[in-house]
Amino acid sequence: MVALVDDLDDMLAAAVGAAHARRQTPTAAGFAHERGHPATWVVRPGAPAEVAEVIRAAARAGAAVVPLGTGSRRRTAPLPVGRPRVLLELGRLAHVAHLDETSLLVHAQAGLTGIALENLLVPRGLTLGDFPPAALRSSLGGLLAVRTPGKSSPRHGSLEDAVLGLSAVLADGRTIHTRVAPRRATGPDLARAFLGTEGTLGVITQVVLRLRRRPEARLFDAHRFASVDHAVVALAAAFHKEARPAAARVYDADETRAHFGDGLAHADCALLVVATAGPRELAALDRTLIADAARAAGADPLGAAPAELWWRRRSGHALHDAPPVQPALVLFAPWARLGAVHRAARSAARAAGRTARAHLSRFDDEGACVFITLLDGERADPAGPARAAVLASTRAAGGLPPGEREPALAPALAALKRALDPDDLLNPGVLP
Amino acid sequence: MPGPRADAVEHALVALLGPARVSVRAADLATYARDMWPRALLAAVDGGPPAHPPDVVVWPETTDEVVQIVRLARRLGAPVVPYGAGSGVCGGAVPLHGGITIDLKRMDRVLSIDRDALVCEAEAGINGEHLERELARKGLTLGHFPSSIYCSTLGGWLATRSGGQMSTRYGKIEDVTLGLTCVTGAGDLLETGRHGRAAAGPDFTQLLLGSEGTLGVITRARLRVRPAPEVRHLRGFVVDDLTAGTEAIRRVLQRGLQPAVVRLYDALDSLMALRHARKDASDGGGDGGGDGGGTPAPRRAARRPGPAKDLVSSLLARLGLASGGGLTRELVEAALSRPRLVNLLADRAAGLAGRGCLMIIGVEGSRARADVEAELVFAELTRAGARDLGPGPGERWFARRYAVSYEMPRIFTAGAFVDTMEVASTWERLPDLFDSVRRAISRHAFVMAHFSHAYVDGCSIYFSFAASAPNREAAERRYDALWHDALTAATRAGGTISHHHGVGLLKADFMADEHRESMAVFHALKASLDPDGIMNPGKMGLPLPEAAPWSR
Ligand SMILES: Cc1cc2nc3c(=O)[nH]c(=O)nc-3n(C[C@H](O)[C@H](O)[C@H](O)COP(=O)(O)OP(=O)(O)OC[C@H]3O[C@@H](n4cnc5c(N)ncnc54)[C@H](O)[C@@H]3O)c2cc1C
Repeated sequence: MVALVDDLDDMLAAAVGAAHARRQTPTAAGFAHERGHPATWVVRPGAPAEVAEVIRAAARAGAAVVPLGTGSRRRTAPLPVGRPRVLLELGRLAHVAHLDETSLLVHAQAGLTGIALENLLVPRGLTLGDFPPAALRSSLGGLLAVRTPGKSSPRHGSLEDAVLGLSAVLADGRTIHTRVAPRRATGPDLARAFLGTEGTLGVITQVVLRLRRRPEARLFDAHRFASVDHAVVALAAAFHKEARPAAARVYDADETRAHFGDGLAHADCALLVVATAGPRELAALDRTLIADAARAAGADPLGAAPAELWWRRRSGHALHDAPPVQPALVLFAPWARLGAVHRAARSAARAAGRTARAHLSRFDDEGACVFITLLDGERADPAGPARAAVLASTRAAGGLPPGEREPALAPALAALKRALDPDDLLNPGVLP
Repeated sequence: MPGPRADAVEHALVALLGPARVSVRAADLATYARDMWPRALLAAVDGGPPAHPPDVVVWPETTDEVVQIVRLARRLGAPVVPYGAGSGVCGGAVPLHGGITIDLKRMDRVLSIDRDALVCEAEAGINGEHLERELARKGLTLGHFPSSIYCSTLGGWLATRSGGQMSTRYGKIEDVTLGLTCVTGAGDLLETGRHGRAAAGPDFTQLLLGSEGTLGVITRARLRVRPAPEVRHLRGFVVDDLTAGTEAIRRVLQRGLQPAVVRLYDALDSLMALRHARKDASDGGGDGGGDGGGTPAPRRAARRPGPAKDLVSSLLARLGLASGGGLTRELVEAALSRPRLVNLLADRAAGLAGRGCLMIIGVEGSRARADVEAELVFAELTRAGARDLGPGPGERWFARRYAVSYEMPRIFTAGAFVDTMEVASTWERLPDLFDSVRRAISRHAFVMAHFSHAYVDGCSIYFSFAASAPNREAAERRYDALWHDALTAATRAGGTISHHHGVGLLKADFMADEHRESMAVFHALKASLDPDGIMNPGKMGLPLPEAAPWSR
């Protein structure tokens, strides 16, 4: 093994160039706490073919390959121990291979961040969709390999739905390119094997994404409701009438105060802000549909201003305002459970001597995400004792923490893993 | 399967299900030996025993029974073929290696309809039209309207990634499927999509959809439903040519507008459609037809034409046109023997007529939205140079959209056949796809086309063709050569070889070119979900298990 490990040094250097293959000292890599810290390399391939070379080299040396997204600090599982490991950093794969402005498609390398791509698209009147910029900070590969809650919107669905095809390197070093067509009936959607599987079945090197034209018009509106439940009911009614806003958000009373000051909030009120977009007539229609539903639910119209402020913050343009704290918990819930999840969070926090405030966002046909902030008095307390209690009670109320694997599907996934990666080369230990 | 083993399988099945739901009767075996694949129909009409009958047919009533059947099949080494309604047009349900055919039609219940969440759960064997009727009773719709809606099942739709006529608004079946219950080839139960978008990947729903029975038996599905439309606006437009037409459609879709249906007919198809539109306008009749649809059988049955005329009228029906017009009939009859020449003449005729191409467009939904959206769509088309023909052509198409030919077998006499091919690509490749595939088909058959199922990023093309040959063998040769050339052309032009009919036997040999290296992922799915390779063997270009006695 030792000889092989030394060989790996040379093989990786040959694969990506010596400048881009570094053997890490334990402290530099930040895993000094690990016992025995096995030999670890960080390699930065500059082309998809180099990714394949790296994987073949690692396979020969019995090393694990762990793809790292850029921009996101999140690592979902501890690094594998007991065998050498190659951390694949794809930041150099950051090129747009083809921008098809006729079909509104982009073929982009996986190391490109969503924001960098969006910045290339905007001057051309194009966009990835109504996704909040904050949700696009990571590399495309990272965004698609890991399920996170932020990547869904009422008009454009989830980012996964924008994937028309992809290229990936399998554990045996083969590179595949799923074929691109708007729809097909030639078997399963094979690209889906790699979405949300955290690099365990293959390393995504390039993706083909659907684009949209930037909206011709964007309109804003806000309404104050008697409660979160009232707001949810009104929004659901508008969705049933086919309202499709670009984005919508519901703040509970404490969250309204925290984000907008005391002026807007009433005792137990909820604030709904919406942005609608598209051809002007449709944007206006969506705004009207939501306003009608709000009025029917007894809401006060507040005009565009609160929603415009929300939108400027969402687009990253109003950061001089006090930046809202990162929420402690995010739960997805179907429409019918949103109110219950919110109430469960409030009362569980109260029982633990804390306060929970929340907003609901990322609405689509299925439901929305509840972003919960935990406070000890005025101070944010994301990791305090209330957290576990709130998580348990919101789950019981029908909330689902995003990004979990469904236990019932674990055996099928394990079998697929064995078929594609029998030696457990790619991101070992991540799958149950 | 050799006799003794088939007997063992039959006995085990009878022990499981009782004698009434297990059959080895010759009539049943013959019935389940084929689907609506035209090539198999050529043989069926020619007479003689079916080439690939199942050994036994079973009718389970619960998912648990399906689990037991698959486990039993696995234990006894028998192939398993799921069977919906047999309306597939690619030979997908043909039991190539015999074994057990599982007919799902007794699993036909709607299990739940949630009007608030807009979710419906139903069993896979339910007839498409029954499902839609149940939903309509609650003011809802699935929005899935294949021309075969009266003769196909939910499970068949899911297994083939079927597409309906209103797909531009509602999506194809894979776009409205939230979760599946599937019995894998390993005999395990897989329930997908329970956690919706909260779940980590992979999305097993999308890995099972389109697998045509090669990975498992789908027994249930949860589906996204929508409120039934309050209004529907249908229009006809005419554009100068296909380039202008596809460009106009692309503009509409990429502006973020969402019509329910868009259909653009090529010049010849339009020429005939417009003739009939005028004729119908004067005698008050209808016109149009669905995806492969057309004149309803009863109209034609009144005066029973001879085989040649029968073929002509069926072709016209398949093309979505009423039977009739002298020029039209002669063209098609001649086309049967000399496709190249007639395709050329037809092009000329259409070109000389200079009437352009017909487009049918429909917008539906809630009154508030559809009214606004229809205005925007029609205005955008007009800006793109399309000329408004008013609601007539659209409404006539709509009235006839399910009037499919249920009498197709009658025309497969004396080596004549009709068939359809649906390909798709991104807008960038679409002109090349159209030209290459049309050229490939026109070497062998008389061909027409329309564009339907438009998306922001691309569109599908639906070719209809007819040809004849002196006898069955010659017809089969022509049929195979045509498909070989057409599918190869589609792949070379960067399109997919199927937009919604699936692969089955017909396109199995072309899967390697369709997916190239990524077939490895399909192979891995197969190996993991159906380790013994018993599920619908010989289909979709998947390898046969070496060990199985029936695979040699
Ligand atoms: C006149 C006519 C018009 C048509 N129009 C359209 C159209 O507009 N759009 C369209 O998409 N198609 C159309 N088709 C094709 C056909 O109707 C579809 O492919 C349909 O989805 C098949 O459904 P079925 O229930 O008849 O399936 P079958 O033909 O019985 O089976 C099709 C395939 O699916 C598998 N299968 C069936 N049920 C299951 C199950 N429960 N689990 C796993 N596998 C299963 C079978 O093994 C087979 O491989 C048309 C066909 C005809 C004859």
